Amino acid sequence: MKLRRRWLTALVLTVAALLTWQPPAVAQDDAALDYYRQAKINWRQAEGQSLTIGLNKHPFTESLLPLIPEFRKLTGINVEYLILPEAEYFTKLVADLSQQRGEFSVIMTGPMRNWQYVPPDWILPLDDFLNNAKLTDKAWYKQDDFYPALLSANRWDGTIGGGVGKGPLYSIPVLEESYILAYRKDLFDQYNIKVPTNLAELAAAAREIKAKAGIPGIVARGTPSVASMGTGFISGLKSYTDGQWSEFDDKLNARFHDPRSVQYTDAWINMIRESGPPNWANIQWYDAMEMFTAGQAGMIIDADFFAASYEDPKKSKVAGKVGYALAPAGPGGKTYAGLWTWALGINKATKNKDAAWLFIEWATAPRTLLNATLNYRNYNPSRASVTDDAKVKETMGAWGDGSYLRTVQKNLETAKVAWTPQPERARMGDIWARALHEIYFQRMSAADALKKASAEVDKVLKEADIKQ
Amino acid sequence: MTMSRRRRRVLLPYALMAPALVLLVGMIYPFGLGVYYSLTNYWLQYPKRFRFIWFDNYINLVGEPLFLRALEFTIGFTVVAVAVQVGLGLAVALFLHARIPGRAVLRALMLMPLMIPPVITALMWKIMMASTNAGILNYMLSFLGIDPINWFGSTQGAVVSVLIIDTWGNLPFVSLILLGALQALPTEPYEAAVVDGAGPAAMLRYITLPLLAPFIVLAVTFRTMDSLRIFDVIYATTQGGPNDATTNLQIMAYQFSFQWYQMGKGMAQVIVLLLLVVLVSYLLLRLWNRAAERTVY
Repeated sequence: MKLRRRWLTALVLTVAALLTWQPPAVAQDDAALDYYRQAKINWRQAEGQSLTIGLNKHPFTESLLPLIPEFRKLTGINVEYLILPEAEYFTKLVADLSQQRGEFSVIMTGPMRNWQYVPPDWILPLDDFLNNAKLTDKAWYKQDDFYPALLSANRWDGTIGGGVGKGPLYSIPVLEESYILAYRKDLFDQYNIKVPTNLAELAAAAREIKAKAGIPGIVARGTPSVASMGTGFISGLKSYTDGQWSEFDDKLNARFHDPRSVQYTDAWINMIRESGPPNWANIQWYDAMEMFTAGQAGMIIDADFFAASYEDPKKSKVAGKVGYALAPAGPGGKTYAGLWTWALGINKATKNKDAAWLFIEWATAPRTLLNATLNYRNYNPSRASVTDDAKVKETMGAWGDGSYLRTVQKNLETAKVAWTPQPERARMGDIWARALHEIYFQRMSAADALKKASAEVDKVLKEADIKQ
Repeated sequence: MTMSRRRRRVLLPYALMAPALVLLVGMIYPFGLGVYYSLTNYWLQYPKRFRFIWFDNYINLVGEPLFLRALEFTIGFTVVAVAVQVGLGLAVALFLHARIPGRAVLRALMLMPLMIPPVITALMWKIMMASTNAGILNYMLSFLGIDPINWFGSTQGAVVSVLIIDTWGNLPFVSLILLGALQALPTEPYEAAVVDGAGPAAMLRYITLPLLAPFIVLAVTFRTMDSLRIFDVIYATTQGGPNDATTNLQIMAYQFSFQWYQMGKGMAQVIVLLLLVVLVSYLLLRLWNRAAERTVY
């Protein structure tokens, strides 16, 4: 009996030892932590506190998760997180913010989303944290290293209809996303097709690819949601009108039925119907990205960093066969692509505000973002130092024989947030996307459907007291 | 201090009722809250503007174009889905009731879809129904010389797809009810019919169906209630699109509540749906009562 108990004890101890044993990576870890400890702040000032991070299922999230243990070790702050698909994430987030429960401390947000969270006073301006020497070592954090256009996209002074780039900073960008054309260079070469520079050429190229290669000439997002409007479509429309058109006139009347908008929409939908995939109306961003990655489409105008998927030799059928160019331009010869940054912000209702800031400071520090890009494919960098890193440059520079990096940099000279600030932006986008379905399924003409969309948006803005 | 026996006897019924009361309150409170919200302009985005607005949400529904389309689809889908599912379910039940080899295995296999959560069913089918050649369903149809079907990308395709998926998931339920009923039917009428020289078709028409009537009505009732409220299959595949072709009241209420955060409007839509379900169920249950009374074993 006694003997057996001793055996049992030995067994339990062995199992426990096996479970707690960790490979001897301690020395390396310490080297990583040393970098953070160079900052002249006390990383352990919020030790023992807990944070819950609200995360959208996204490549950035994938790159952040493996790094979180490092933050725990550095600060002694306990981190939990909840990851949800985009639509569910934003729903859950608004539920939490509106009840002011502070369930999430740090949230994944971005310029257009902030317009929704700032008016009801749900998220905190971050300038005070950045300027607090106890919390931020400015020299170490290197705020100037962020691309100025991306930081300024996350500033807003609260003016309905304007004020982007002014006022408080509400979130810190963790990546850059703008919209460019990716095309199958191999097919374009084979069939001697010219890379399109305007909408008519785009439609012609799509037609030709479909006829000659037997695959959809172009793929685009098509579900009836704001998510379908904000990338290729709106970038094309802005460019088509030389950056002149926007959703509202100066009295906040919706202008979807503006004649130039009607022309563009008509041409776009005709192109999709003629040369796009038959299930366009049910295509979400990842379907579009996957289709192009699987070699099932000739062109796509969408997030530039999807290139990380197209060029991933492990899963892509088109790696090395893709060319990159600016989205088709308007009569003035310039493109005006939209811009978005996923960014981290702080829920005003959270109890542990300092701990939340420490998390953001760590997550957006030069080395963390470099790590995320280098080892976990978080593209495109929001910090210049990450883009300039030799290895990152080598990877991104190789895509499209150098055309990727060239295009992204050229694109960013004119790219900016495409939408007009107001809290009902997402709802408005949903209404607009539904109008595209009315046109695509030929229930209404472009002019009528867009006129109806304008009227509906005006109605919602009045109902929400945003406009008189 | 012990309680007198009399006092304990007085309290006993209340103690026994307590769990039921807790349950009742647990059910009534959220329901009451829902009704209350439906009478307000509750909009998550604008908490400061919260106001009681009586029946405005209900009145405004009439002028909401999406509501009329959603109502039409809710009812249309229910009628077709119930007819298809009960019709096919009856056929399957009759087939599995017949003396065929491998009957036990087939009966067990038939139950499989019931064990899979509807969302998983929907996603499984969504993958199979991919519009390009990549979809296994279109690939298989190509052997029959059928061109690829645009399952979720066209309005009719999406409606048919949702119908197929919902039917696949719920057919076993109908078959199970009807098979159980078939097995419980008395044998005497059939013996008498054989003596009178009736064929199988006549027996089905004049004996089986009339005897099954209450069970058919029961299956119709259950399936109607479920079809009026269908959400998971639609949300997982089409989210109500394309062109709102598969938007029913439930999906519409979800969009208003959780996509656009207008809780007051969303609740009003759900309550309209609830009234519809209650009304239809009431009518069907009356029908069931009558059918059951008429059937004398």
